[in-house]
Amino acid sequence: MSENTVQYSKRSRERAIKDFLRQFLGHGGAQLGIVCLIFFFVLAAVPNILVGPLQTAINATGDFLAPPSSQHLLGTDEVGRDVLNLVVHGARISLTIALLATVISLIVGTTVGMTSGYFGGWVDVWLMRITDFFFVMPSFVLALVITPVVLEVMGRGGDILGFRPSLFVIIVVIGMTSWAFVARIVRSQTLSLKERTFVDRARVVGSSDFSIMVQHILPNLVPQIAANGALVVSGAIYIETSLSFLGLGDPLQPSWGTLLSLAQRAGAASAGAWWYLGAPGLCALTVALSFVLIGNALDDTFNPRRRVIP
Amino acid sequence: MAANGGRTTRHIGHALLRAAVTLSMVVILNFILFRVIPGDPAKLLLGGARVSVTAEQLEAQRKSWGLERPLVPDQLVDYVSATLHGDLGYSFKFRGRRVAGLLLERLPATIALVGIAQLIAIVVGVTLGMYAGWRRGGVVDHITTGASLALYSTPSFWVGMLLVVIFSTALGWLPGYGGYSPGALKGSLDLLLDYLRHLVLPVSAVALGLIGQYVVVSRAAMSDVVAEDYMVTARAKGLTDLQMLMRHAFRNAMLPVMTLVTLNLGYVVAGAITVESVFAWPGIGNLTVEALNARDYPVLQGIFLLLGVSIVVANLVADLTYGLLDPRVRQ
Repeated sequence: MSENTVQYSKRSRERAIKDFLRQFLGHGGAQLGIVCLIFFFVLAAVPNILVGPLQTAINATGDFLAPPSSQHLLGTDEVGRDVLNLVVHGARISLTIALLATVISLIVGTTVGMTSGYFGGWVDVWLMRITDFFFVMPSFVLALVITPVVLEVMGRGGDILGFRPSLFVIIVVIGMTSWAFVARIVRSQTLSLKERTFVDRARVVGSSDFSIMVQHILPNLVPQIAANGALVVSGAIYIETSLSFLGLGDPLQPSWGTLLSLAQRAGAASAGAWWYLGAPGLCALTVALSFVLIGNALDDTFNPRRRVIP
Repeated sequence: MAANGGRTTRHIGHALLRAAVTLSMVVILNFILFRVIPGDPAKLLLGGARVSVTAEQLEAQRKSWGLERPLVPDQLVDYVSATLHGDLGYSFKFRGRRVAGLLLERLPATIALVGIAQLIAIVVGVTLGMYAGWRRGGVVDHITTGASLALYSTPSFWVGMLLVVIFSTALGWLPGYGGYSPGALKGSLDLLLDYLRHLVLPVSAVALGLIGQYVVVSRAAMSDVVAEDYMVTARAKGLTDLQMLMRHAFRNAMLPVMTLVTLNLGYVVAGAITVESVFAWPGIGNLTVEALNARDYPVLQGIFLLLGVSIVVANLVADLTYGLLDPRVRQ
């Protein structure tokens, strides 16, 4: 490869990135989503600076179920903890769970889809049969039965990699059950990519299957993976919130779903404590919606012809 | 028909095979999960760790359940055959109750909830979505699309909690808890009215989530149809807007919507679990929460099987009807 071609491709890549950003940021939805996400990522990054350490029943500062006031902007919960404090700390937990689960799901989905599409034959048949199962069975339903059993096996005490066991299990279970549609999309892309000339060229030069997949096919899959990754995050937030609401979360590291579960158990709805159940739900909704908007904008930018949502 | 008869048969065959594979995986997953739970399975089968049993009872239990035989294939075969016969074991929490009986007892309440919610959601969601797609870019389009996107990403149970705060606690219009009022109620009409009053809020919570989905999908389907060549032809023939809508657009746009609706028949039961838990609605969802809290594994496995069956059957029906409705799939 001469120096000239490298320079040319570098410049054209820069231009492509600029084009992409201009088009992507032109979407009103994408702008809204990014602004909201930046806000929540800041909350998640430095919760201690913003609202102090996570309050517990012991260091709670307020009255029981007190409505919003100048002291407690979002009111208090049933043991007098500041809801704003809980929600900001919840951002860190909810976002961490959702993002880590998505990383697992993208890794599994991409590996399965690429292997399936690249090798074809019986590998494809069997991998797709497994994928079909996970595609048909919703992640939420699978997680509902797998999570309590795995928790029983591992025990609920101690912590794993800094997470309480139930959170760790939820991350892994959501990640391992929500990769199927990524795998399908990656497989169909791989099927068309592997017929391209640059793959033939690499094979003639003597590249191994593994290096062809990693160096030549994977980079071309990035757009699809990114657009669908955003949707996976949104799904993960939904599933985590639902599972935690059903009591599978951990009260010592409360996510937004766990807060909703606590609010439900404290009878916040029938006590009219709208601030207690409203705040965590609104946060979960905003973050999930932001990821959907960003995912749609990405999808639209990469293939403008197939628009589902404006 | 004769020419593609073989293809249609093959399409049905593939669909049935896929359904069978998925269902067997559900059953096998159930089998594995129940066996990795720590503790003596004989003891678990007698009612879990909280029940005290003698060594003789345990031995007898082990014998009668064949627990001393190898896991694969003996125990797996036993398990599958018992499941096929509708024997899902006994609940831990509801001592001595058969899981299958418990599920059947709770099923009608869930079917009432999700059935009514589905009906409302189909009528409201499809109408709004189709109209938004037909008049794309209009005021109605912007409002409904925005609202349904928000509904689509909102957990239904949270909507339910808000409904309780507003309509039950603040306004006191509707009950937000349980399936019937405590106290004496005479006459079947009063009972029915009371039941319906209790249904309003949970049904609204489930329906709102579904409406979000249906609007998004039917709007997309309708905007695709509007852009088709045959719509230009229809316009050129001199058809009025209403004729175009009824004769061409609506029927073609209904195809993807029908598929989603059929698929949702399976998924909506799972989606209602959290909503039922908010309202203590006496259905499958509330049973799930009770089973989760009591670590009642047999009931949990029974629910998983039930959800699996309903999802697989709905998928199968969607697969087959799509083939019937869309000749392109058959060919």
